[in-house]
Formats: sequence, C-alpha cells, structure tokens
Amino acid sequence: MTDTILEVRNLVKRYGDLVAVDGVTFSVAKQEIFGILGPNGAGKTSTLEMIETLRPIDGGEVRLNDIEVRTHAQEVKRLIGVQLQSSSFFDKLNLSELLLLFGEMYGRQVDPLQLLKEVELEDKAKAQVVHLSGGQKQRFSIAAALVNEPLVIFLDEPTTGLDPQSRRHLWGVIKRIRSEGKTVVITTHYMEEAEELCDRVAIMDQGKIIALDQPQELVRQLLSRGFSKNRVERLASLEDVFLDLTGHSLRDE
Amino acid sequence: MIASLKIFFRQREAILWTLLFPLFMIFLFGFVKFDGLGRVTVGVVNDAGGKAAPFVEALKEVRTLKVIEGNRTEELTQLGKGEREMVVIIPASFDPSSNDSLLAYVNDEKPQEAQLGALILQRVMDEQAFRRSPPANRIVLWTQPVKSRNLTYIDFLLPGVLSMSIMQMGIFGVAFGFVSLKKRGILRRLWVTPMKPDDFILAQVAFRLIIVMMQILVMILVGVYFFDLHFIGSFGSLFLVGMLGAVVFLAMGFALAGISKSEDQVAPLANIISLPMMLLSGIFFSRSNLPGFVHTITDFFPLTYLADGMRGIAIDGATLAQLTPQLLGLGIWCIVACAVAVKMFRWE
Repeated sequence: MTDTILEVRNLVKRYGDLVAVDGVTFSVAKQEIFGILGPNGAGKTSTLEMIETLRPIDGGEVRLNDIEVRTHAQEVKRLIGVQLQSSSFFDKLNLSELLLLFGEMYGRQVDPLQLLKEVELEDKAKAQVVHLSGGQKQRFSIAAALVNEPLVIFLDEPTTGLDPQSRRHLWGVIKRIRSEGKTVVITTHYMEEAEELCDRVAIMDQGKIIALDQPQELVRQLLSRGFSKNRVERLASLEDVFLDLTGHSLRDE
Repeated sequence: MIASLKIFFRQREAILWTLLFPLFMIFLFGFVKFDGLGRVTVGVVNDAGGKAAPFVEALKEVRTLKVIEGNRTEELTQLGKGEREMVVIIPASFDPSSNDSLLAYVNDEKPQEAQLGALILQRVMDEQAFRRSPPANRIVLWTQPVKSRNLTYIDFLLPGVLSMSIMQMGIFGVAFGFVSLKKRGILRRLWVTPMKPDDFILAQVAFRLIIVMMQILVMILVGVYFFDLHFIGSFGSLFLVGMLGAVVFLAMGFALAGISKSEDQVAPLANIISLPMMLLSGIFFSRSNLPGFVHTITDFFPLTYLADGMRGIAIDGATLAQLTPQLLGLGIWCIVACAVAVKMFRWE
C-alpha cells in the first residue's frame, strides 16, 4: 500500500515477566487520524513510545515512511512530532523561546508566532508554560510537536483532565492539523472523543489489539450481535446539558 | 550542541544565583574581623644575647604583645608577609646601661598597631632604665616603616569559598538539575528530538565550566576592589585548577544523578559528600587545628586539593609546578570520579 505511512508488525515489549505489548500489528494511512483506545495498563503508551524511539523494541518491526524505526531511530525522529503524556518544559522560557529552542534541536529556524497561531495561542507568546491552563498547555505541547513539520504526530491522551470546552477546542485543532496533510496517532480513554475524531480506532487490552476498525463499523458489529442498552436511548447526554448551560466558548483564557 | 548549550544559558536566575551565592558568603564573612584580636605581634631579633635578656623577658610579660624571637632575615620576611606588626633589632653592641638607641621596623599598612607597639616598647625600656641604680639613660626607639603584604582572613576565605562554590555547583547543580529534568519528563521530550545524548552531557559540562570561569573572575575582582584581596596570582592558572576541580565535582554530580530517582534521594547523598568537605577542607577555618588523624584524612579530600591550589595561586602567586601535589591529587580524583560516573550514570 503506497499511502501507508506507519506500519507496525508483531510489536512486543516486555518488562521482566510482564508482556506489556504482545504482538501488536496495525498500519496507519497518510492523513488518517488513528486512535488507540484501551483501559489503563493496556499497553497504549508503551506501544506509542516504541514507535517514537523512546523505548527499545523487544520484538517485531515498526516502519515509518518506510524507514525501520529500530535501526534508524535518528532519521525517524526527524519525521515525527511527539506530545508525551506527562512532559513539562523548561522553566523561565516563554513559549516563543521554547519553540525556537526546539526548532534548533532539529537545526531549523522556526516562526514561533505561526506555530502558536496554529494552536490559537498567539496571544500567549510571551507567557511561560507554568502560567498556562491545562488546555493551553496541551495545545502548546502540540505546537512544540509541530516545529519540525513532521509527517506523523503522536498525541498521548491529550485531552485527559480537560473540561468539555477545552476538549472540543483541542479536537478542532487536531482536525485542522490533519487537514494540513499530517497524520495523527492519538491515544485516549474517551470513547466519544474517538468517535468524533478518529477515522479508525484500535482497541487494546492486556497488550493485544482486540478490535480495529472505523468507529461506526465497530458499533454496527456490536449491534448486529444483538446488543441493546438496558436503558432507553436518550437523545441528549449530560455532557450536552453541561455544554448547553455553560456554552461552547473556552474558559481558560 | 549549540542548541543544548542555549537551554542552560537561558536559565538566567540559575546563573545569577550561582554567581551571587558565593559573593554573599564573602560579604557575610568578609565583614567579620576574625583577625582583629587586638594583640600586637612583635618579632624580636636578639643579637646581644644575655645582655638583652631581661628586656626581652619584660616584653614577654606584656599581655598586649605577642613576642616571637627569631633571626634577622626570618623576622623581616615575616614582617614583609604581614605576619608581624613590628620587628625590633637588638644589635650585638647593645648595652642597657649606656646611652643607646634601638631600631624597630614597622608594618606600613598597620600604623595604629605599630604605634601602639612602639609606645609599649618605649615604656618597657623606660621602666627598665629607671629601675637600675643608678638610673641609666633613656634608650630611644627609632621606627622605620617597611612595606608589607598583610594577608587577612579574606585572603584565606575567598579562594576557599570560591573552591566550595565550584564543588556545590558540580555536585548540587548537576545532581539536582538532572534529576529534576528526568522526573519532570523534560528529558524524555528531548529524546524524541534528534538531539544527541552526548551533546547534551557535553553542553552541561561546557556550560558549567564557563560559569566556573565567570565565578572565578567575578569573585577575584570583587575581592580585590571591595575587600583588599592580596591577589598576586595568574588568572590562567586559577582557571586551569578551577576547571580541573570542577570536572571532579561535575563527575560526582553525574554519578549521584545516575543513582537517584528523585530530589529526595539526591539531597541526603549530596550533603553527605559535600558537608564534611565544606567544614574540614580548610574553607572557613584553617585545618591546622584539626586533630592528627582527621588532618591526615582531610589531606586527601578533593576540596582540600582544590582550595589549597586556588589559595596558593591567588595569594602566594604559586606556579602550577609548585602545585604539583594538588594537581596530582585532583587528577587522581578526576579519574576516579569520572570512572564512577560512567558506571553509575543512567538516563532513565
């Protein structure tokens, strides 16, 4: 397949006796938003970190843009943008300075304002990360992941801990990044997020992928097995009520 | 490499503090006059032997005076170094019963002490002349100022504090800084960029060596301009010894950073290593009062080598060749510390 940008085959990660990632196989097409879902400890982050070159690969193969990750980590690093689950940034530097600095690590001259505009933080260019709200921090993380104009950007639980307004706002940012030609791989706990955002999702549990398809297709398959909710389907959820009452506008700035 | 260097240079506050803290210590201790104990040190060169003995004995009775006997060259050298306030020469021809005069060389930078000493001396001589029967003629004391270098506590303290702050920067700066980067996930974020780990370490070391040079420069200049530091050494030698010391302590910092997972683990380890050195390596107080075996142990502390080396250069104008023992000591520590650091250091 020529439009495959990421190819993962029989990926394995062991921590002592524990097999955290147990023969995971999937591929991601160019310009796709690909979701990895699963409960805590399912192996989502370990899978991502092996692809991102952060963890040694214990078995299997990962190819990104047809480059073998295990043997060509340095080349792969130039092609990817990464937002880690819990990474912070250097203190005492403002957002512009941080982006310039990250640019220099790739040997690139970047335009911090343009990057910040991408994630709607241009008015915070002179602020420090510690003074940002949760949603702003995540958006800044994404801006930092974009400095090298990556082919693929990896987002590890970018919306965890955010309020509904900030989450929806971040979805908008992610969709726009995709529309600019980038591929997005995202992990999340939120099913409605996966449904809204992802073209395809892989559901992981105990280190294995137990389902992989388009969200609507997975729902259809479940229903075709005769599943029905034991509560009457409502036309609105509590989140809809919350957003109706508090509005869609962002609160953190 | 350049990019990683920039990371550190943009930590403006951190730089400021590494420079300000030792200065603060100097200001704090510099104004305490440990050496102003109010006694006048008098060197006595007695070439007259028994004839002058009663006079010398009488001088020793005076509590304000600290009398040290010695030969002429020795005593004048001590006067030149500022170890004596005055030196009285009693010539072989001295005869207490006949009309005579005495010559005393006095320290030109301590006129008050010298004057006091001269007054006391004159009085002792007058008393002795008076007690004789028949009373002898008065012996007159002539004084002649001599140029001296008066080393003070600050001359001892400043190179010591400078050495100590090099140690602190190495051990605490690296160990804490690194563990914090590790814990907060900043390092992981850096590893997904193409930056090379070796460059990162190199930048850490280069950055801190530059800071060491700035520290040496600032401290010496402040010492000279504000505290009359008697600096006669070469900056080149100071930089060289300072950097050698810095590498020893940086390696210790990396070793600590390697075995610790959080700041809570680093703090006690860093203190266990640095506190004994801070107190026993002759930073604030001379090691000469330490009991024998402790003295011997502290001889081998890396901070002792560094402080003695820095002090030797700054105050005595020692050349690198004269500091061979210190350089050798630091060199051995350097090899040991780097070997341990390479073995202990972990990125994750």
